[in-house]
Amino acid sequence: MSRGMSYPSSSAGIGAAGLGGGGGGGGGGGGRSWPSTTSVSASGKRIQKEMQEFNVDPPTDCSAGPKGDNLYQWISTIIGPPGTPYQGGIFFLDITFPHDYPFKPPKVVFKTRIYHCNVDAEGNLSLGILKDGWSPALTISKVLLAIRSIFSNPDPNTPLVSGIARLYLTDRAKHDEIAAEWTMRFAR
Amino acid sequence: MFRSSNIVSRIFERQIRTPAPGTSVHCARQFYENLVPSCTIYDIECPDHSFRKFTDDGRYLISFSRNHQDLIVYRPTWLSFSCKEEDCDFHDLPSKAKRFESFFTQLYCVSLASSNELICKDFFLYVESNQFGLFATSTAQIHDAPAIGGAIQGVPSIEKITFHLVRLEDGVILDEKVFCNDFVNLAHNMGVFLYDDLLAIVSIRYQTIHILQIRDSGNLVDVRAIGAFCREDDELFLNSHAQCMVFVDKSKQHDLSANQVENGLQSHQNMPGTPFLSGIKQRLLSFIFRGIWNEETDHTMRVQCLKKKFYFHFQDYVDLSMSKVQFLDRHHLLIKFGSVDGGVSRNTDHHPAFFAVYNMETTEVIAFYQNSADELYFLFEQFCDHFHATSRNLLYMNFISSHSNNIHALEQLRGIKNKSSSFSQFVKKMLTSLPFSCQSQSPSPYFDQCLFRFDEKLISAADRHRQSTDHPIKFISRKHPNSLKFKIKPGPEAGGLDGRTKKISSFLFHPFLPLALSIQQTFLQPSVVNIHFRR
Repeated sequence: MSRGMSYPSSSAGIGAAGLGGGGGGGGGGGGRSWPSTTSVSASGKRIQKEMQEFNVDPPTDCSAGPKGDNLYQWISTIIGPPGTPYQGGIFFLDITFPHDYPFKPPKVVFKTRIYHCNVDAEGNLSLGILKDGWSPALTISKVLLAIRSIFSNPDPNTPLVSGIARLYLTDRAKHDEIAAEWTMRFAR
Repeated sequence: MFRSSNIVSRIFERQIRTPAPGTSVHCARQFYENLVPSCTIYDIECPDHSFRKFTDDGRYLISFSRNHQDLIVYRPTWLSFSCKEEDCDFHDLPSKAKRFESFFTQLYCVSLASSNELICKDFFLYVESNQFGLFATSTAQIHDAPAIGGAIQGVPSIEKITFHLVRLEDGVILDEKVFCNDFVNLAHNMGVFLYDDLLAIVSIRYQTIHILQIRDSGNLVDVRAIGAFCREDDELFLNSHAQCMVFVDKSKQHDLSANQVENGLQSHQNMPGTPFLSGIKQRLLSFIFRGIWNEETDHTMRVQCLKKKFYFHFQDYVDLSMSKVQFLDRHHLLIKFGSVDGGVSRNTDHHPAFFAVYNMETTEVIAFYQNSADELYFLFEQFCDHFHATSRNLLYMNFISSHSNNIHALEQLRGIKNKSSSFSQFVKKMLTSLPFSCQSQSPSPYFDQCLFRFDEKLISAADRHRQSTDHPIKFISRKHPNSLKFKIKPGPEAGGLDGRTKKISSFLFHPFLPLALSIQQTFLQPSVVNIHFRR
């Protein structure tokens, strides 16, 4: 599947580079004043459509919306799921859509500190579907659901922080205790 | 019932009548109508210092040398002189008595500023329980300072700000606290608030509220820093867990440690270039988020609401900067958030501003208001004294007039309210006084609006310089509207030679004695100091 999609994605990449530059900055707001033949407006239309779908049926404990009037810069909030060490935390995430979206995955960065083996010290998130496992069929709702699910089920096999993954596998209770302490200190 | 304002009949009445329950202090304070600083010694010969303030317990008069290097402290003493003739009350004061030294005895002079630092003459806080004074010295401001090491853009930088804790009894400097390459708004104590023994200092440049404790031993002890982190050990906690975190980029790690060394004097430091929200912003944003989340029960509606009210403004909230803070009690802080410009410039009217109540023990934001919020204004109107969180050791500190404790002040406020064209503009204007500046009001009974009426444009309890006219300022009895009790006239007795030059006056009132200093400054001329007292 990913091979099939790689062709249009690369051509869209050229279009985006020639036009938008700066990775979604400066208000490429849905291609208002842009020539409509490029992928910028295509990605804009897609994001707009996803936003409407998201608003109609938002995933549990998740919400998201564009930051200001820039359609390519979103902020999302995930409430720490009950029963996990992240309970009681409010986690803010930055979502940046590339101009060749949906052929390239959005970039998701935690704005709130979290103790999690799949999130590094800079807040970057490692998630299969945001890398090689990305498919243009995925939507922002599905991405947020996937992120929410790693709160309850971290993936210690492909960690960003091996120390946390090791602790998760060897001493789950200790891991949960530290994660809860982080939530209490940095995510409330 | 007719009550005489004659002092003898008042004393007689005090002897035979018990005042209504709870009014004994009010009754006693009425004697101030009879004991007024009505006698003036014009243009007294006095040392050329800038006189700052009487301490709130009346024990000391604080002044600084003209070169802004030395602190000179006086003890107010009551005038005494001898007179050969019989009814000396009716004579003019002997010329020997008409001296500054008859009213004030110099206790000591200590040098506070060194080399390129100067004393900030607008800054002084008094720790009444221990008779300590807090002073500040600083180097010059650099306006176009680059924002490095976690500093925010657009804020000037001061190379070195030093807070000096001085034991006022003997002038010994007990402790110092230094801030480097930082910006603290020192004018009129704006950036610093003292509550009991707790001190809050707002570093505008690094967006941190430093909480310090003034120990009885005379030490300034760091309690916590609110900004990048909320709890005092958050940074330690993070660093102790950092070992198991793998840094993606090793070079970034080097930058980080280098910056921390550079700012070695600054104990609390923002992590430069951190991608995360600061501790206080996380609390603030999650409070706003939860407010909107809980307001709406239907999940779909709630997400719509968040999109419009929260995510759309998210960056604006992130960009808010802390500009001023005050204690409401030992745990709660009232923090003003605004644009960066609003924190530095004086005129904050045109900038949107927000107020947050923050509990520094639980590290929770408890309330959040915009500066046009009716709700906050009504709290301010009715419970103004709760915002005036000062030391309550001195009884007379409770009698500083405000629109919440004084009907006349309230009437005045209502007058302004009715006159204002738009209510929301009025609310904004009123709320610019929040958070209150610390120790900015004189507790002198002559500013008690139950006792006296005066023109607030010319004089008031607020510690401010004012434009002065050649006319004396009248203090009129509140009870007997036609009875002029005394006048305060700043400047030379004959008035200025040139009526057009701009004159600035400041007034220092003793907290409970009928004694006041007025200082009038005219451009390029020596200042004129008058002493107002009761003969």
